[in-house]
Amino acid sequence: MANETEDAPTNSASESHATSADVERNPTDEDKNEKLLNDAVQFLPTDAVKDLLSKEVCLRCIFRLFGMQVPICSSLSVKSLLCHVLGEQADLHQNISSVEPNICRSCLGILQFTYCGDKERVVENESACDFAVAIAELVKKEGHQIDSFSLEVSMPPTILENENKLSLYVKRKYRSEAWFKDRSISECSSTKDALKFALTNPLETLLDVKCGISTFHIRLTYSRVEASIRIQNFVEKIEGCKRRKVDAKNCLDTVKDKSAITGVENSVVSTTEVIPVDEKSSNGLQDNEPSETHEFPLKKVNEPCRLECLCFRTPIYFGGRYLKYSRNVSQTRWIIDEERMGEASIEEIIGGNILPMCRGDSYKFHAAGREDIDVRMLGSGRPFLFEIQNAREVPSELLVKEIESKINSLENKLVRVKNLKIVGSQGWTLMREGEAEKQKQYAALVWISRPLQDEDFQTISSLKETVRCYQILQKTPIRVLHRRSPLEREKIINWMKIEKIAGSSQYFLLHMCTQAGTYIKEFVHGDLGRTNPSIGSILGCRAEILQLDVTDVKMNCFLTE
Amino acid sequence: MNDHNVYQTNNSETEETPEQAQQEREKEMQDDEEELHKLLLPNVHDLPLTPPSAIDFNFVAYFAPDFLKPGHDQYVYRHANGLCVIGLAPTHVAFKDEGGITAVDFNVGKSDRSGFKVTGKRKKNAQHFESNTAVCKVCTNNDSYIVRCCVKGSLLEVNNRLIKQPGLLNSSVRITELLMS
Repeated sequence: MANETEDAPTNSASESHATSADVERNPTDEDKNEKLLNDAVQFLPTDAVKDLLSKEVCLRCIFRLFGMQVPICSSLSVKSLLCHVLGEQADLHQNISSVEPNICRSCLGILQFTYCGDKERVVENESACDFAVAIAELVKKEGHQIDSFSLEVSMPPTILENENKLSLYVKRKYRSEAWFKDRSISECSSTKDALKFALTNPLETLLDVKCGISTFHIRLTYSRVEASIRIQNFVEKIEGCKRRKVDAKNCLDTVKDKSAITGVENSVVSTTEVIPVDEKSSNGLQDNEPSETHEFPLKKVNEPCRLECLCFRTPIYFGGRYLKYSRNVSQTRWIIDEERMGEASIEEIIGGNILPMCRGDSYKFHAAGREDIDVRMLGSGRPFLFEIQNAREVPSELLVKEIESKINSLENKLVRVKNLKIVGSQGWTLMREGEAEKQKQYAALVWISRPLQDEDFQTISSLKETVRCYQILQKTPIRVLHRRSPLEREKIINWMKIEKIAGSSQYFLLHMCTQAGTYIKEFVHGDLGRTNPSIGSILGCRAEILQLDVTDVKMNCFLTE
Repeated sequence: MNDHNVYQTNNSETEETPEQAQQEREKEMQDDEEELHKLLLPNVHDLPLTPPSAIDFNFVAYFAPDFLKPGHDQYVYRHANGLCVIGLAPTHVAFKDEGGITAVDFNVGKSDRSGFKVTGKRKKNAQHFESNTAVCKVCTNNDSYIVRCCVKGSLLEVNNRLIKQPGLLNSSVRITELLMS
C-alpha cells in the first residue's frame, strides 16, 4: 500500500490525479486506526469467518454481518483486511484469491466495489477510496460547483433476499455458540448502509464538502443483468400488460444522461422494487426457486451488478416579473411549420440569459397567465418562474442582479425583468395560489361606430354602483374554440372607466379591471354576439378594439420588496 | 457591468428619514404611472378613420351566391383556425320579402339542430354535415327558405338567439358555426 501523502488539495481541477493515498490521515491517525481495527477484529469468530468465506461471502459482507463498522476500512484493500483477520499465515498470501470470493454471493460484488460499468467492462476497485475517486472524477468532469451532496443508492431486490438468507443461516448454525449470545446479530447493517458508510468519508474528503440533505445528488443504481429478464417476465405476469416493457424503453430514449450508461433493466428493476419481496412474490416467480427464504448456500454469481452512477442537481427556480413592450413578441417559443411566429419570445430572451449563467441542461418556463402576442404587458409586470434543470452552478445574488441588468439593457428593449431572484419551491405555490381569483387590469383602445357622448361615461362607470360587480357571460371565443371546450363562462368585471382621447370623438381608452380568465377582446366587439353583454351592446353601437395592454396583474408574488 | 451602481442605489435610502423615504416611493410610483400613461396613449394621427372590424380582421369572407337555388345568397367566414361561420348574405331573397324574417326554425332534416350538445376539446357529438345538408329554415310572411350548409364539416353551435329573436337577422346576419374537419 502506497504511503506517500501529496500536498495538492484534493478538490482542485482536472490536473491533479487523486489517489486513495490522498485520503489517508497523517501517520499518528494511521496507527490509531490500526489499533482500532485490530481491537475490533479480535472479536470476530474465526471459524465462522472461514466458513462464510468458503461459502463465497466476501469479507466486507462478513464485517457488516457482525456489525463491524470501522471507518478506516475505507482505505484498506481486502488483502490487508484479511491479513488482520486471519493473521499473518504464510499460505494465505499465496491463496488470497481462493479465500476471498471472486464475486460475493450475498452482495453480488457491490461491497467488493466491483461492478459492470461503461461498455460492459468489469471494474474492480481495491478499496472504498478507489471507488470514491472514480465517483469524484465524474462529479468534476461534469463541472459541478457544490457545497454539499446527498448519496443515494438503489439495489436490486435480490440483495435484500440474500441478506435475510445469510442472517438466517448464521443464526441457525451458530446460535448455540457463546460469542453469538454475546453479540446480537441484529447489529448487522444492510448492504446499502454498509456501502454508504464506506463511501461517505472518502467522498467528503475528495469533494471537500459535507454529506447530508442537499440539492446535489450522487445516485448509484445497481442492477442485475441476467435477473432483469426474469423480472421482466415477472412484471408482465403481474401487470398482465406488455406495454410496460415498451414504455420503459421509450422513456429511456428521451432521457439525456451525461454520465454513465442506462440499461433497459434499470427502469424495470426500479419499478419492481416497489413490489414487496416476500413469500408472495416468490410464488409469483415462474422458474423453479421453491421457498427461497430457506435455501442456503446462495446461488453462485458469475457477473457483478451493473452500476449506473448519476450526479445531478435538483431543479433550481428563478422567480420575477416580466414586462413586454413589443406587440410582436410571443410569451413562449411559437413555431408553426418551421416558421417562427413573431420576432422573439419572452421565454427565450430571459431563459437564454439565465441558462448559461447556471450552466444548466435546460429550462422550463412557467408564467402566471398569458397574453396574446399583440398585447403588451406593462405596469407591475407578470409573475413568472424559470425552472433550471441540473444547474452546474447556483449563481450568487450579485450574479442574479447582473443577469437582470443584462436583460434590461438589451438593445431592442423588447422585454424587461423585475425582481429576479432565486426562489425555493414555495415559488410554485405562490404563483398557483388563487390564480383563478386574481384580478387583472387592462387598457384597451376602443373605437365605436358613433361619436362618444357624455352619458357614455356614466353608463360605463356607474355599472359599479348599480350592481356590486358586473357579470358577463362569455361563450368560448371563436378564435380559441378549436382547442378549448365549448362552454359558457361567467366572468366578473370589477370596474370600468372611459378616458377621452384628445382629438378623436370615436376613439377612447377603456380602463377596466376583470376577473382572471376574461377575454377582453371579445368583451369589446362581442364575438358575433357570443359574449353578453359587450361594450357594443352596452353603448348600443358597434365597437372594435384596436389595441390591448395589460396594465396590472394583481398578484402577491415576486413584488418589489 | 457596474455593480457599484446597484449597490449605491440600495444604500442611499437608508440615509433618509422614513417620511422622506415614503415620499420618494410615492413620487416613484407617480412617475411610473405617468410613464405608463404615455405608453398607453396612441398617436391620434396614426388612427384610421374607420378601423377594420373584428370580422374583417380575423376572418376571410367567402360568398356563395345562388347556392343551389337562385337568390339564396349565403356567406362563409373562415377563421385561420379552421372554424367557419355560416350566414345569410344581405342580398338573400328572404330579406326582400315584406317584413323581413319572422321566424327561424332549426328543426329540419332529421333532427333539431339546436337541440344537441357538443362537449369537450375533441368536440364530441358534433354532427357531420355535407354542403347540401339543411341547417335551418327561415320564414317570412310569404314564404320559407331552407338554409344549407355550404361547406363540409361538423356542426359546433347554432345561434339560438335567432329562435327567440328572429328579428336580429334583419339587422345583422349570422346563423351558425362549423368546425372544419
